[in-house]
Amino acid sequence: MKWRSKGVVHLLAFLFIMFLAKGASAQIKITGKVINSKTLPVASATVMIKGNGSITTTGTAGEFSLLVPDGKTILVISSIGYETIEENISGRKTLVVILSEKSTILNEMVVTGYTSQKKKDLTGAVTVVNVENMTKQPNSQIANQLQGQASGVTVVGSGQPGEAPQIRIRGINTFGNNTPLFIVDGVSTQNISSLNPDDVSSIQVLKDAGSASIYGSRASNGVIIITTKKGRSGKPAVSFDSYTGVQMPRSGNIYNMLNPQEMAQLKYNANANSGTPVTSDLLYGNGTIPVLPDYIVPAGAKEGDPSINPSLYLINPNYTDPNELQHFYHIVKANKSGTDWFHSVIRNAPVQNYNVNVSGGSENAHYMMSANYIDQQGVLLKTYIKRLSVRANTSFNVTKNIVFGENLAYTITNNPKITPLQSYSPIAFTFRSQPIIPVYDIKGNYGGGFGGTGLGDSPNPVAVQNRTANDKGVDNRLIANIYSDVTFLNNFTFHTSFGGVSSSGYAHNFTYPTYENQENTTSNYYNENSNYSNNWTWTNTLTYHKIFGDLHNLQLLAGTEAFSENDETIGGTTYNYLSFNPNYTTLSSGSGTQTNLSTRYSESLQSLFARLDYSYMDKYLLSATIRRDGSSKFVSQFAIFPAVSAGWRISQESFMKRIAWITDLKLRGGWGIMGNQFNLLQDNAYFTFTQNRNSSYYDIGGTNNSIQQGFQVGQIGNPAAKWEKDANVNIGLDATLFKGLISISFDWYKKNITDLLYNPELSGTYGRGVVPYQNIASITNTGIDLTINANKQIGRDFKLNGTFSFTTFKNNISKVTDNTNYFYSGDGRNFGTYFVRNQVGHPVGSFYGYNIAGFWNNATDIANADVIAQKATGNQSAIYQTDEGIGRFKYQDVNKDGQINENDRMIIGNPNPKFNYGLNLGVIYKNFDFSSFFYGVYGNQIWNQVRWWTDFYASFSGGKSKTALYDSWTPEHMNAKAPIAETGGYASSNGSPNSYFIEKGSYLRCKNMMVGYTFTGSMMQKVHIQNFRLYVQVANLFTITKYSGYDPEINSNHENDPKKSVTEFGIDEGAYPSTKQVLIGINVKF
Amino acid sequence: MITMKSKYAIPEMMLVSSLLIVSCSKTFLTREPQGSVNTNALSTKTGVNVLLVGAYAALSGQDYDAVAGNIQSLGGGNSWACSPSNWLWGSVAGGDAHKGSDGGDQVTMIPIGTFTVSPGNPLINDKWKAVYEGITRCNNVLKILPLVTDMSPDEITNTKAQARFLRAHYYFELKKLFNNIPWIDENTADLKQANTTDIWPRIEADFKYAYDSLPVSQSDIGRANKWAAGAYLAKIFLYEKKYADAQPLFTDVISMGQTTNGLAYDLTPNFENNRRPSYETSNAEAVFVVEMAANVKTGAIASGNQGDMLNFPYGATAPFGCCGFFAPSIDLVNSFRTDANGLPYLDDYNSHSVANDQGLLSSEPFTTDAGNLDPRLDWTVGRRGIPYLDYGINPGQDWVRAQNYSGPYAPIKNVYWNKDAATDGDNTQWAPGSSINVFIIRFADVLLMAAEAEAQLGNLAAAETYVNRVRDRMISHPEAWVHTYVDATNPSLGFTNTPAANYKINKYPAGAFSTSDYALKAIYFERKLELAMEGYRYFDLSRWGLAAKTINAYFQYEGQFTIDVQGAKFTENKNEYMPIPQSQIDLSSNSGKITLIQNQGYK
Repeated sequence: MKWRSKGVVHLLAFLFIMFLAKGASAQIKITGKVINSKTLPVASATVMIKGNGSITTTGTAGEFSLLVPDGKTILVISSIGYETIEENISGRKTLVVILSEKSTILNEMVVTGYTSQKKKDLTGAVTVVNVENMTKQPNSQIANQLQGQASGVTVVGSGQPGEAPQIRIRGINTFGNNTPLFIVDGVSTQNISSLNPDDVSSIQVLKDAGSASIYGSRASNGVIIITTKKGRSGKPAVSFDSYTGVQMPRSGNIYNMLNPQEMAQLKYNANANSGTPVTSDLLYGNGTIPVLPDYIVPAGAKEGDPSINPSLYLINPNYTDPNELQHFYHIVKANKSGTDWFHSVIRNAPVQNYNVNVSGGSENAHYMMSANYIDQQGVLLKTYIKRLSVRANTSFNVTKNIVFGENLAYTITNNPKITPLQSYSPIAFTFRSQPIIPVYDIKGNYGGGFGGTGLGDSPNPVAVQNRTANDKGVDNRLIANIYSDVTFLNNFTFHTSFGGVSSSGYAHNFTYPTYENQENTTSNYYNENSNYSNNWTWTNTLTYHKIFGDLHNLQLLAGTEAFSENDETIGGTTYNYLSFNPNYTTLSSGSGTQTNLSTRYSESLQSLFARLDYSYMDKYLLSATIRRDGSSKFVSQFAIFPAVSAGWRISQESFMKRIAWITDLKLRGGWGIMGNQFNLLQDNAYFTFTQNRNSSYYDIGGTNNSIQQGFQVGQIGNPAAKWEKDANVNIGLDATLFKGLISISFDWYKKNITDLLYNPELSGTYGRGVVPYQNIASITNTGIDLTINANKQIGRDFKLNGTFSFTTFKNNISKVTDNTNYFYSGDGRNFGTYFVRNQVGHPVGSFYGYNIAGFWNNATDIANADVIAQKATGNQSAIYQTDEGIGRFKYQDVNKDGQINENDRMIIGNPNPKFNYGLNLGVIYKNFDFSSFFYGVYGNQIWNQVRWWTDFYASFSGGKSKTALYDSWTPEHMNAKAPIAETGGYASSNGSPNSYFIEKGSYLRCKNMMVGYTFTGSMMQKVHIQNFRLYVQVANLFTITKYSGYDPEINSNHENDPKKSVTEFGIDEGAYPSTKQVLIGINVKF
Repeated sequence: MITMKSKYAIPEMMLVSSLLIVSCSKTFLTREPQGSVNTNALSTKTGVNVLLVGAYAALSGQDYDAVAGNIQSLGGGNSWACSPSNWLWGSVAGGDAHKGSDGGDQVTMIPIGTFTVSPGNPLINDKWKAVYEGITRCNNVLKILPLVTDMSPDEITNTKAQARFLRAHYYFELKKLFNNIPWIDENTADLKQANTTDIWPRIEADFKYAYDSLPVSQSDIGRANKWAAGAYLAKIFLYEKKYADAQPLFTDVISMGQTTNGLAYDLTPNFENNRRPSYETSNAEAVFVVEMAANVKTGAIASGNQGDMLNFPYGATAPFGCCGFFAPSIDLVNSFRTDANGLPYLDDYNSHSVANDQGLLSSEPFTTDAGNLDPRLDWTVGRRGIPYLDYGINPGQDWVRAQNYSGPYAPIKNVYWNKDAATDGDNTQWAPGSSINVFIIRFADVLLMAAEAEAQLGNLAAAETYVNRVRDRMISHPEAWVHTYVDATNPSLGFTNTPAANYKINKYPAGAFSTSDYALKAIYFERKLELAMEGYRYFDLSRWGLAAKTINAYFQYEGQFTIDVQGAKFTENKNEYMPIPQSQIDLSSNSGKITLIQNQGYK
């Protein structure tokens, strides 16, 4: 290794010498003006003396002046959107420079796999994201901003600040982790949550094998290449951007809940319907009509009752002795008008964002530095994201042939979140809590289900969230790389980049004892954990580029790459604190058992790859890539991933030249294989034994208070696992029409994923060891991606632009294992049986259950059905359907065997949309700009589990909906929505997954509406401001949907488990809502 | 090697160094598993012992997912369905108790209690998986044992015998619930075996080996010994109706058996002490138990009766966090009625029902039953007006979650005492855990099984002696009955000498067991009383062939009071066993051919 460090010394010495090489000489002043082809002045253009580094920028009239050293005669003039030109002064003192607009976007350079290409030369399916449109969405997460902005990309998020959305490129590619590979300035990662959107310069989505396969074993989920902003030569350009505003949740009765009087009536109805009519009730009195009490604790007390004497009241909210709880004396008033639990925790929340960016450079050095701070409060109490990021990107032209640079960003994030979409989230508690319960009791302590009189077991959501106030969690993330480009022998470029992500985080939280609930936690404990993660990617490429005789354009690239990751976590818990003061609670200060834990993880990848890009006469394009990846996760470590693609620019053919309205037309096609290994854990190949204090330790000594170490199987090993293969065919068309007025990009694809790594449940006889991934399943995805861009300049002052993106995918499971054609996923929620079934012939995540054919309207209905069942089975005591009963659901006899059983369940819904689309529309008129963005999803279904809680009286004694009281089956109201209100739960009502919970999930949302005005002119110049823009914006202005829940955009509740989120989505059990935001913002350039 | 003169020094350097990493690939790409060991590391005396402890640990059937905060069984399913107490399978399905809570809670348990259970029910699958994990752990001990070189032959035999004992126990758990099950042992290569061969001989062979090989005393009280194996083997003979094999073995166990810590088997004088962790080492009744430990891992109660955590009184004034499950049935309580002679009503106990507070608020007046009662009742069932351990007088409906769903009673056998809450209770979860051990076999059970074997062989006097020995514990120890509080408002002051109810219990008079039929009826009833709420009833009724008759009568009677069992029906020649879990049948497929066959009546 010694020679390598010697090499570094040489390199540093070399750099030092290069910096010293600088001279000086006499100067003359020249003045000039930069205009465009329409003779309009070009402001902010950079004018630089070649080989010297002296630099200036043009004013608003395009004027500039510069001291030019004697003998230095060439100026380099550049500006965004124009071709850079070199102008020989030839002794002139004044000059006019005409810049020509970059002809079309066709010459735009697009960063693709390890290289960049002109857009016209692309043969693969690459979506170039319009970053300007994208970053208009006021969101801390780039992943969320991508929604609807890139065809082929499906993003499902939520309104929770900082919550990672699901991103899927061209459908669901595997049963596990579907997150794409992000390449941020050459650094590979699956997590871009820390990235500041304002730092982004370009985003390319590589969707097919032709473009992505060069990323080999990590390409199957698609690759998103993100390049951050770089400085340009010129004097420092400073910009400041900021917005502030408020997020406004909807008002009103969100879940259509009953008021306390109606709740009482529903209880009486349900009991009467169940044959056990209420004769007397602790809360609601002794009559046949319920009367609301003045107090719920003591239960049913009226004003004036001695039991409500406040002097009896005794609650110590911070009790440490569990026995104390039994001696508390609660006094809680009934909230007769009803508590609006939803709005007790969901309220208006502010957001503010600040961004400063300084960039510039000389001929030989460029820099960009930025700082960003965002503080977005969540509409749910105690949720927010506060994130500070700083970035420094620099590059140096060490010599004419050597560029050396770095990109570095550091982020500190504070982002307390909840796990929504499950029954134990504070959002679910808002519909699980009864309205008669007040938020606070008579002394200002929390109210809750305490009372044991049918007030339900939901915790008070205000209490739950407020108790998290002192919890802290900080994540630090550094993403950085250093790189160098060396050009030599005219045609060769050597590029090396070393970079990675280093992240660490720590969090602590304290769990308070509760006293206000039906089910109280009497213990108090403190939990603290910390994680450290470190990965690096080292890439080296050598490129050869040569144009032979203006006909053959050849580019060859070969490279190596190594990737290594190491993760560690530690954590601990201690119980029984004598004080709950957050300054006191540490892992050391508690008195109960101390628990600690740690985990480690490590993996590596090592690769060789090559690429060929060739075009003939700018007409026939050919590209081929190959990659050989070695992975630490496999025993047979190496695999090869090839791809070829070709393009034909028909418009270059002479027979097309006559068609004037076709500016450019290209047909593309490609085939290749991409891999996937994200799902696999490092241990997959090994058979291991492990220990677990919960499941393998045992008190064999009969001590009653200690356990001895025991072992169990850890991982069941599968040394035979190999790479997952995604064979991909893509056919595409790119067209530019009417001289760039309209451009269209269309792709059709088919992905055939075989040897899919999946860990199917094993027969119980294998025991509980971790099931290894095996190459057994298959999936196909087909779909269409379409992007249409239109730009129109009308006169001097009026400019229109629009971008439409359209994405479809059809996902189909073609094989699960050799032996089964389905697997279940999810937790079964409150049914105890799964309702997500992934089955051959259907898409991943399909909803499964009984289809409701109607109600049992009378006893004859049931008797007739039983006769059918008895005939069909020959059993005289057979019944048609378990728990059949008047007013309950009658299920569809799918297999027509005269009986309802598990074989009559069917696929009753699909959470995958048929298509989604995004439309950006922009208008610029003089100094005004207007933009809007619409996003829509069509053809998916949502499993609305909220209705299980609110529409069925028997589904725990929480809050209930108006449907349960007014639109449930009764003999007088047979045309009802919900079944008869009863006190029992039945397989024929709320006890089985059935089509009652399926709803249409299509929606169209106006995600953004923005009006801005840009101030220019002399007034601005006086304060040295080049550009000052003021705008107002409304995000999520309206949503058109038939979905009955708050928000039809339903993420998964497995944010941190990309494997589970793939098969469980579109299930609403209280979504964290996306809310309307009203913002005002400024953009200032100095 | 590289000089500044070289024009291409830097690219050369970089190329070479990038090649270096290629050449290092072998090491670079080797990343070993972290925090676990392989088979070699466990092929030692210590290694085999920790594997064996792991095999014992599976007795509880419990696990906890600390990351997700999920209580779960071994294998990741429903924890409570895998409780070693078999409260759901043995007692709820047997009519001892209602599922409890309310109709929307743990809905998949409902079909277990009403015999509408379908092959797709997840709970049968969870139980199946949790028990097979126990079997897997035993097999791993037996697989690795031959590789060990640092153990004496005695140590090897002892270890092997414990592993086979545990494996036989696990198979028995499956056998009595599912009947037709595949046998997997340490030599089985293909783990997808058919379930068409009766495994009773295999279970017998394992217990026989354990009985022949295990020592009487063991280093740890939780380990199985010779007599535990003997009692279990005799139990297997009884289930197989091999009474002639069972009888002499029971006789030996009763006369010679002792606990691992050297106590000769006997009934503990105080019935309730079986439920008291502090009496563990002095309890001569403990033949084989699942050891429970409380407060060993704060935040998780997987080692502390997690499987029974739902089974505590529920309500605002109830001193427990959750959950109101496992409510004793009215039918069960009526069974404890005794006649003027202190004997049970074997046939018409429901005609002598015990007064209860069904339909009454706690604030409404209620008079407790004044009739004769077996004193075991109030150590078995929490009922209104009677001291509930040292928690105070049971207030009735205030401690019941949904009376019209589960009746007026509360469970008590699994509940720790208030004064011992800090040590015996574990309150670091949302519902209580405890260190109360679960009996797999206790000596009272052995006596009653022995009585059954004797009665089947016509030795009625011997049978009567055994039954009376069980009854005599309560008769001879009135000090161990439930008594009234010194101060009902302050239970911690202790108890008076006044029995809490009108307890009356006597032995069967000599010669009362005049016919085999009567003797068996009396023995069966005694099992119902003595072992009530302990997870035996359904299995007993099934093996006796009395399940359909008894359970359907129960549904008829109980359904008058609670809605949960209304209309339920037990189907003979079907519901004696649970269906083979459908997903296990699906997973048993070998190249498209199913190897597991569904049980009778469920096809």
